[in-house]
Amino acid sequence: MERPIAYDKLAREDRLIRMRAREVAQLKVDQGLPPFPDLLSRDSIKERVHGIMVGELQAMEGAGRTVYDFPDAPWEFTMDMARQVWDESRHVEIYVRLLEHLEGYIGEFPETTILWRCACAEDAAARVAGVNRGLEGLACDVFNQLVHIARKMGDPILERAVDYVLADEITHVRMGSKWLTRLTEGDPERRRLAIEFQETIDERFNLGGVRREGPHELVPISIATEARREGGFTDEEIARLIKTTQRSAVY
Amino acid sequence: MTHPLAGHLEVDESAKTVRHYRYAVERMTRILGGWMALTPELSAKLLMGRHVWDNAQHADAWGKRLPELRAAAQISEPANARLVAFLDAVETAERPEQTIERVVAIYRVLKPHLLATYKAHLASANAVYEPPTCRILARCIEDERRHVAAGETILRHLLRAPELEARARACEARLWPLLEAAGGVTGAGPVTRVSAAAAPPAPLSDDAAEFIRLEQSTGTWPIAPALAQALGAFGDALVAGDTTAARRWLAPEVQLDSDLEARVRGAQGGRHAIVACARVGEQRLVKLRLEGAHDGVTLLLRWVPTGSDWRVAVLDAVSASAARPA
Repeated sequence: MERPIAYDKLAREDRLIRMRAREVAQLKVDQGLPPFPDLLSRDSIKERVHGIMVGELQAMEGAGRTVYDFPDAPWEFTMDMARQVWDESRHVEIYVRLLEHLEGYIGEFPETTILWRCACAEDAAARVAGVNRGLEGLACDVFNQLVHIARKMGDPILERAVDYVLADEITHVRMGSKWLTRLTEGDPERRRLAIEFQETIDERFNLGGVRREGPHELVPISIATEARREGGFTDEEIARLIKTTQRSAVY
Repeated sequence: MTHPLAGHLEVDESAKTVRHYRYAVERMTRILGGWMALTPELSAKLLMGRHVWDNAQHADAWGKRLPELRAAAQISEPANARLVAFLDAVETAERPEQTIERVVAIYRVLKPHLLATYKAHLASANAVYEPPTCRILARCIEDERRHVAAGETILRHLLRAPELEARARACEARLWPLLEAAGGVTGAGPVTRVSAAAAPPAPLSDDAAEFIRLEQSTGTWPIAPALAQALGAFGDALVAGDTTAARRWLAPEVQLDSDLEARVRGAQGGRHAIVACARVGEQRLVKLRLEGAHDGVTLLLRWVPTGSDWRVAVLDAVSASAARPA
């Protein structure tokens, strides 16, 4: 098997339509819509849940590729990634069921593949920094807010299920924090490159100011400070992320 | 009567067998992990996703057992070069349309063989001084039995036509002799396998029938009547080879390039079907499959509402690798 695979080799059923995230955002902006679904209506929540569902699918596939692509990495690293595959595979199921709960279906919205592209980084340290800290950190932000909104809406199904997924995601962030340190021990250049990769992802997912610090009801994606701390982000890193969200101008 | 302390394997031999198990299981874990991204069907993808972690835990348990047998921890060792060749052959099924070969290789060949090997080992292990090995064997047997049963459920779903059944049989017939030549995962032969007929019902989170339901959950698409009518007329015109009628649905700036026109011609006289429909605001992204007698093409269309009517604002062909799973 090829190792690693090109990002365009990601296999999908016919019912999913793949599209660049910026193209989808542009199409929406052209129609006078926000580029990223807000959480103001059941329909926009459904679109957000669909986006998360395909993200979980790609996270499962990405963690699986990490199990395969790095046979010389420490065994404990492989174990953590294999555990993540299992978690993400359950998350896919959870989000498909939540989509059904919201009367949606797989393929109702296009699939964007930013997450998968990040999961194709050639260095294991960059991959865990980008995926487990950058993307799973974003997942903590999104899920934390979704739990809050679901509670406010009085939807205990959504609230409880997403809260369990959030707990798993914090574990994955923790794994990322651990392996970023261990894999780059004694190699500051490798660490610098991995962190740089994570920061490009953070910058990208600030989505032109969509993600920022603020109350759940007022901010499209609010930064989950507490969940990030639990996942091993330092206060300095969180402060830096908040600062970058204040200068992100493009999606 | 056999003495209760009579043994089957020396300590060193036991460690070697454990390293052989670990080699097979570690490679299987990595292969399944790598394959998920290359497998289009959700049911098979989730099947693999559920089992990567179980298998990693098996490899880990075997690896941790090694120091208790005076050997280095977490070391894998293939039984022989022929077993390596067998697993190399398993791993070659990486094209998206080879899901059947992937599932057959693991769930009809390797796992049933592992299950038989573990059971035989457990039956012959010494109950007085080998319980640590027996505990691991018992856990692996329970999991592998469940995995094989789940794999069979997915295969019954995938093998929808006689030619697909034939492909599955051909794959089995190609791989089984390689495994036999290796003497199985331990290299000691004889090479046997066990079916999963006696597997207990799976819990909901592990139920392969549920993975199939999730795969089939998108039945029909809620398409507005005007768009449904436009899609039908556009598809009819394309398969009839009436490009003038088809152009009526295209926005003025959209052109059918010569290459795409040739591919559409290949589907003439056939039929068309919607295979995907996604929303972007008021616009709709639709995959339209044109299936001719000899050739087919899947088009990706972006439909834009224009008052009471719809027009195609973008038209493109979907790459073959993404279009034809199974």
